Amino acid sequence: MSEDELLFSKNIDDAITQDATLHKEGAANVGEAIVITSGKGGVGKTTTTANLGTALALQGKKVCLVDTDIGLRNLDVILGLENRIIYDLVDVIEGRCKMHQALVKDKRVDERLYLLPAAQNTDKNAINPEQMKIVVDELKREFDYVLIDCPAGIEQGYRNAVAGADRAIVVTTPEISAVRDADRIIGLLEQEPIEPPKLIINRIRKSLMANGDAMDITEVTTHLSIDLLGIIVDSEDVISSSNKGEPIVMNPNNKASLGYRNIARRILGDSVPLMSLEDDQPKGVFAKLKSLFK
Amino acid sequence: MKKQLIHIKGTKDGLVLRLDDQCSYSELVEELEKKVTEGHLDGKIDVQLHLGKRYCTPEQKAQLTKVVEEHQKLCVKKIQSDVITIEESFKQLETNRFETYVGIVRSGQTLRVTGDLLVLGDVNPNGRIEAGGNVHIAGKLKGIVHAGVNGNEEAIVYASHFEPTHVLIGNHVEVMTNESQFILDHTHQIFAYLGENDIIAYDRIQELRNIRPNLSTYKGGS
Repeated sequence: MSEDELLFSKNIDDAITQDATLHKEGAANVGEAIVITSGKGGVGKTTTTANLGTALALQGKKVCLVDTDIGLRNLDVILGLENRIIYDLVDVIEGRCKMHQALVKDKRVDERLYLLPAAQNTDKNAINPEQMKIVVDELKREFDYVLIDCPAGIEQGYRNAVAGADRAIVVTTPEISAVRDADRIIGLLEQEPIEPPKLIINRIRKSLMANGDAMDITEVTTHLSIDLLGIIVDSEDVISSSNKGEPIVMNPNNKASLGYRNIARRILGDSVPLMSLEDDQPKGVFAKLKSLFK
Repeated sequence: MKKQLIHIKGTKDGLVLRLDDQCSYSELVEELEKKVTEGHLDGKIDVQLHLGKRYCTPEQKAQLTKVVEEHQKLCVKKIQSDVITIEESFKQLETNRFETYVGIVRSGQTLRVTGDLLVLGDVNPNGRIEAGGNVHIAGKLKGIVHAGVNGNEEAIVYASHFEPTHVLIGNHVEVMTNESQFILDHTHQIFAYLGENDIIAYDRIQELRNIRPNLSTYKGGS
């Protein structure tokens, strides 16, 4: 896996050195850009981006999160960085500021997690894929991982987000509508010159799956037939922590947090077994009683 | 005596006019005009024109037909030639080609082929296949398949897991909401074909040899 990645990033290097419009000097030590997308809205792209980014930074990697949802930004809100934004992505692209001026540092993970926020007062057509690629390539020289939060849909915003990416992660929930849109987006991603996309199944509700009321994990993965990167169980704490502006992954005692941490480790090349859905059931009588009063 | 440019032969299906393929076209038309005005024929007679190794454009064919049909009750049923243009031959090759697609036809994607198609993979919901000929799917069919797009009503659709949302054959559509009991009971190794009264019907693939025996191209013995 890590060898493949190495080989892949080498190929990218070759591609970059061939491309005369790009700067050559940084190509030797280049990070990886991962776009996080879903097609359907509201399945948890932004939450996933924030948490994976934080988890990777906690693992000691230098990470930059890029919000490409221009006009409807909210990655900054989830990270609790809203009031520290001065410049944004469009300012960088249009040359109103330097890249480092626009990057917002997350102080919780020292010197390792940064956000490039989206503009709020313009729309997705303000930038084009070529400009986006230049920005991402610049960031890749500074950071180990560049996570690109893609807007919902398959229009201009999607094309911008995918332009600079080396890899793609598709987020879905175990609902037919989300899986259908994930299928569509995977079809589009497979036509891009990037690695085959990987899948995250978000908001898994154990009871629904057990009753057969929701698609189960094997159903989703066989239908989409791409590799599963990880699963995230549904947890109300995710919502409350998003509202507080603190990614759930900072809380080590939560199942969803563990899911994100596992995915981050898999991105780094570790082999981590898939989380079992069963073991969060209270075992003994006392534990069951305790869970009633939670 | 001048060489005969047109040989007339009577068969049980009417007259066969074998036209010389070495002389000039204008000579041929002149001769043909002479031949068909000669003598008198009773009743309506079907005629076939054999052009040999001469290539005629559609306009020329129309002219030949006109010349023959002008005077007597002759009716040109068929014009046959031993030669076709390279373009036509490519077209024929293309419509008869058997294509193989390895992969998944995903939601929103359309796969178009002129001839037959073998899909080694799934067709997901809202994925679409349009083929001039037959479609065979070695994975799961959960999307839309249109076989015989150019009106070939003999075309069939086969899938090892047969659970489509729509099946179209030729110009006939089947929306799979009023599924027949057969489809509800069977999803494996089913094919769809245009059955009696132009209704799309389904059966086990083992029955194909009785329903569309002509699909077989295997010529060898046992």
